[in-house]
Amino acid sequence: MRYSVTHMTRLEYAAPVRLAQFNVRLRPAAWPGQTVSDYQLSVDPQPARVFEADGGYHVNEARFSLHKPISQLQIESRFTVEREDLPFFMGEADGPGLTDLRELAMRTPDLSALAPASYIFASPIAVPEHDIALWAGSFLDESMPVMEAGRTLMQAIHDEFAYDAKATATDTPPIDAFRRRHGVCQDFSHVMIIAARAHGIPAAYVSGYLRTLPPPGHERLVGADAMHAWVNLWCGEELGWVGFDPTNAKLADADHVFIGMGRDYSDVAPLDGTFRGSSQQRMFYSVDVAPLD
Amino acid sequence: MPQTQPVSAVDRPSGWLEGYPVEVAGGDLYGDAAQSVSDRWRAVADGLAGISEGGPVAVQDIAARHAADLGLAFRVTGDEDERAWPLTVMPLIVGAEEWAQVERGLIQRANLLEKLAADIYGPQRLVNEGHLPAAVVAGSPFFVRKLLSQGPRRGHFINVYSVDLARGARGQWRVLQDRVRIASGVGYALENRLAMSRTAGNLLVDSHTRRLAGFFAQMRDGMAATCDREQPRIALLTPGRFNQTYAEQAHLARYLGLPLVEGRDLSVIDNRLYVGTIAGPKRVDALWRWINTTSLDPLTFDARSQIGVANLFDSWAGGGVEITNWPGAEVLESPAFAAFMPRLCRVLLGEDPILPNIATWWCGQAAESATVAARFDELALLPAFGMPVEGFSSRQPVAGADLPEDERTELFEALRRRPMDYCGQEIVHLSTTPAIIDGEIVPRPFTVRAFVARTADGDWTVMPGGFARLSSSNALPTSLMGAGDLSADVWVVDEKPVGHSVPPRPAEEPPISRGGGILASQAADNLYWFGRYNERAETVVRIVRALLGSSMEGDSGIEAQAGAMPDLVDLLIRFGAVGPAMKDKPAAQVSAKALTETRLAGGVAALMRRRMEVGMSLRERFARDFWRIVSRPMPSIDVNRPQSMLSSARWLTEHFSALAGQVSENMVRSAAWRFLQIGQRIERAQAICQFSRMLASGDGEALGVLLDLCDSKIIYRSRYLAVPMTNPVRDLVLLDPDNPRALKYQVAQLVDHLEALPSLRDDNIPEPPLRAARALLGDLQAALAPDMTEARLQGICAQLNELSDEISARYFLQFDREEAERRTRLL
Repeated sequence: MRYSVTHMTRLEYAAPVRLAQFNVRLRPAAWPGQTVSDYQLSVDPQPARVFEADGGYHVNEARFSLHKPISQLQIESRFTVEREDLPFFMGEADGPGLTDLRELAMRTPDLSALAPASYIFASPIAVPEHDIALWAGSFLDESMPVMEAGRTLMQAIHDEFAYDAKATATDTPPIDAFRRRHGVCQDFSHVMIIAARAHGIPAAYVSGYLRTLPPPGHERLVGADAMHAWVNLWCGEELGWVGFDPTNAKLADADHVFIGMGRDYSDVAPLDGTFRGSSQQRMFYSVDVAPLD
Repeated sequence: MPQTQPVSAVDRPSGWLEGYPVEVAGGDLYGDAAQSVSDRWRAVADGLAGISEGGPVAVQDIAARHAADLGLAFRVTGDEDERAWPLTVMPLIVGAEEWAQVERGLIQRANLLEKLAADIYGPQRLVNEGHLPAAVVAGSPFFVRKLLSQGPRRGHFINVYSVDLARGARGQWRVLQDRVRIASGVGYALENRLAMSRTAGNLLVDSHTRRLAGFFAQMRDGMAATCDREQPRIALLTPGRFNQTYAEQAHLARYLGLPLVEGRDLSVIDNRLYVGTIAGPKRVDALWRWINTTSLDPLTFDARSQIGVANLFDSWAGGGVEITNWPGAEVLESPAFAAFMPRLCRVLLGEDPILPNIATWWCGQAAESATVAARFDELALLPAFGMPVEGFSSRQPVAGADLPEDERTELFEALRRRPMDYCGQEIVHLSTTPAIIDGEIVPRPFTVRAFVARTADGDWTVMPGGFARLSSSNALPTSLMGAGDLSADVWVVDEKPVGHSVPPRPAEEPPISRGGGILASQAADNLYWFGRYNERAETVVRIVRALLGSSMEGDSGIEAQAGAMPDLVDLLIRFGAVGPAMKDKPAAQVSAKALTETRLAGGVAALMRRRMEVGMSLRERFARDFWRIVSRPMPSIDVNRPQSMLSSARWLTEHFSALAGQVSENMVRSAAWRFLQIGQRIERAQAICQFSRMLASGDGEALGVLLDLCDSKIIYRSRYLAVPMTNPVRDLVLLDPDNPRALKYQVAQLVDHLEALPSLRDDNIPEPPLRAARALLGDLQAALAPDMTEARLQGICAQLNELSDEISARYFLQFDREEAERRTRLL
């Protein structure tokens, strides 16, 4: 599938703010099965320079500063992406059992941004939670193949949790969403990451998009009108990183456009930054992922 | 008399150690000492006994008094107030020979840590070649991927290394834990030594104890060595006065002569770091950070950090500022590293470790995990990366054998799922040392925090001594002791007196400099408000004294004027010292309320508290004597005994005089002094206006009170042979240029101070605060007593408020603390 992706964000401040600086993480990082062209980031008011920084994890980070006070800001990210279907064998792949997988992850001499060791430990938002570990333990056992473990967790979240865009905010701790069994893709992904890591599965947070309108005859996917998030699990050397979307209970496939991957939301947040001033900020956005074929 | 207790020394002021039980099971620092060193122990004990005359309790009291005098204090996380310093007076004495081995071991380990950090953030050879599992690095919350390939350009990863050491049962020293994030304890070691020098200075000399001063001088030079300016400015970056070790940071900053700065004082311009001062931004060449890496830069790391500096990352990565220790170095603190150190020492240095570290097994490896499970009952368990994990409520090690059945089951279950989160560790039995506990000399287990710093040449120097921690109970004489609850000084003694080990200063003299160094905008702000709160508290006390004097017979220093009482109560209400409901209450009750009020902003107790709050962050600027006066507790107030209240008010007045004396006689006439004065003068000018508005149009009695409140009665009497009359009183308290309690004098002083402050303009045009102050002074110079009506005074009050606004707009930081964190929901 080829898509044209347009993501607009507008920030408004009640009073001008000074020395505003932003990190934007919207340019897709390289990902197998996905080719990006024509990437464009436009910012208004236009900053003097946009720096490409190291995002630390597998994510592109752009940074800019606005030296004059601003009371509003518009950011537009556009690109075209060619997304391949999942390889046919993924449907029935198993991967190693959980104990073997964990020992493999511990033995792999790799510290890169795609290394399993980089995603197996606690991270700022995805902190260990005993209750989530126990809950996940009721579905998993040590010898279960990792693909089955991933599918099981994904399905369990999809079945037990209510999608409710008003129930949580960006900074709601995952454990709160877990206790109330509700939230949005971000909460579901964090719960799944904590559950997977509790059982020794390297798990990463993926930010991206879903195609906005379904193919004829299919239902519209949940979360398609905004940015989306899902979970990458490391499934051994052969399968590598596999995307599981707990919001829609399906593997990430040609409907999913990959932007970046980190330990949790804090590594890949699409927009953050600092400014001086105490003004309230309001945000508006629109996302369109339109098929071109 | 407890003569049957062999070590109680109440009856025998000498020979404290004579009956000391040297045959303790686990080894003892005194018991194991060579003859020459144990002689020294006894000499020191005798010396201490000689100081105290009354036995160990008395010398302990002397030391406690010195510690309090030095302003030593610490805060436990969650405490609002600081606690008294827990120094136990008997030092740990280590012979030069024993210490030499420790020194060699520490220097080797410091070299190893440096190379390790350089490899982790550089080529990662150790991971790639299989010497170090990737997970041991990635598991640390302080492994910061953005720092890869961003190592120091000129300097080093580690400039200051601190380490907890245990002395085992057979006298062998070993490393319990490496610390490279923050060198907490280095200031405590210094403080202990200062308190000990005051208590037993000659004993230190007589014992040939090595001095610590050289270490600190070399450490400071080491931090400056790689800066590119010749006279670099090194600042100590603190998380702020609510931090647990703020007192230590402030003390170190003062001792080393470093500006103490917070993140909001700093800004990065073109990759260089600047501190905002009253004379504009000034460059900072090096930072000694007391903040975690991930909080250093909200833009690069955690946008929620309120204590960092935006773009600081760009500054250090671009070579604009040197940082001690280099960001990311704290990855090495994970307990899991200890499992690999012997091997890494051989790989990186080609040597065996001189100092072993505590034997550690990292459960992320199947074989080690099995070992820990099999030896569970003889080992301690702890989180592998210094972070809370399932089954552990804290980061401290626990003995496997001590775990109750349910926790044990839970831990085994968690170990099965996530073995890589845990380490097993041998339980080391600690040596003891003679300690004074409840007046007796008894053996107590100890650990020592030692310190290693880089010198200007890039070599290492080891502090000859350290910060010892003792457990006051004898319950757990093992490495599981944790923090301990007593501290002691560590004396490294030479056989013969060593020639003056005065710090080897650079041969070149530094360029002469004067003044108080830079004044950060925030410090100026705090000084200004310290001056204001102090003066306002004094003003309220002055009103209270007048009020008490009006209600009782006798010599209050202020004459009785019963008729003025309602005016005085009105003044207290206007100053916000008491609520309007006190209007018709008896004078004693109103006075007591005004002195003890904490809820209303104008109560004396509330003002003293606010003064203390801003004072805390100024502590390193004030002389010790000044700080000691500031931190004295207020006397207690008994509403039923007006006489006692009067003496409390008098105590307070003396307190303010003592402070004023300190400021006037001992404080350098720097910009810092001027801001203190400016705050005081503005506040006093306001008070005079308020007093005059209330009283200057009144009868003779009211005018008399006005003279009292303005401390001008005696001058008035010497000048006029009449009872107080309106215009002569107005002239004396408002317009007389030579009366230091008059309004005009305050304004003239403000003009002087503002003229002396640095200007940001190069065109010689006065800046707005100075123009405002001169305008006011001009008005007062032209005015005559009859002009000073209530309306005029009201106008002057407004002008003074405007002047205060102009001062804060020009000199202080202009944004509030809400900088940072604007995360946005994009789903």
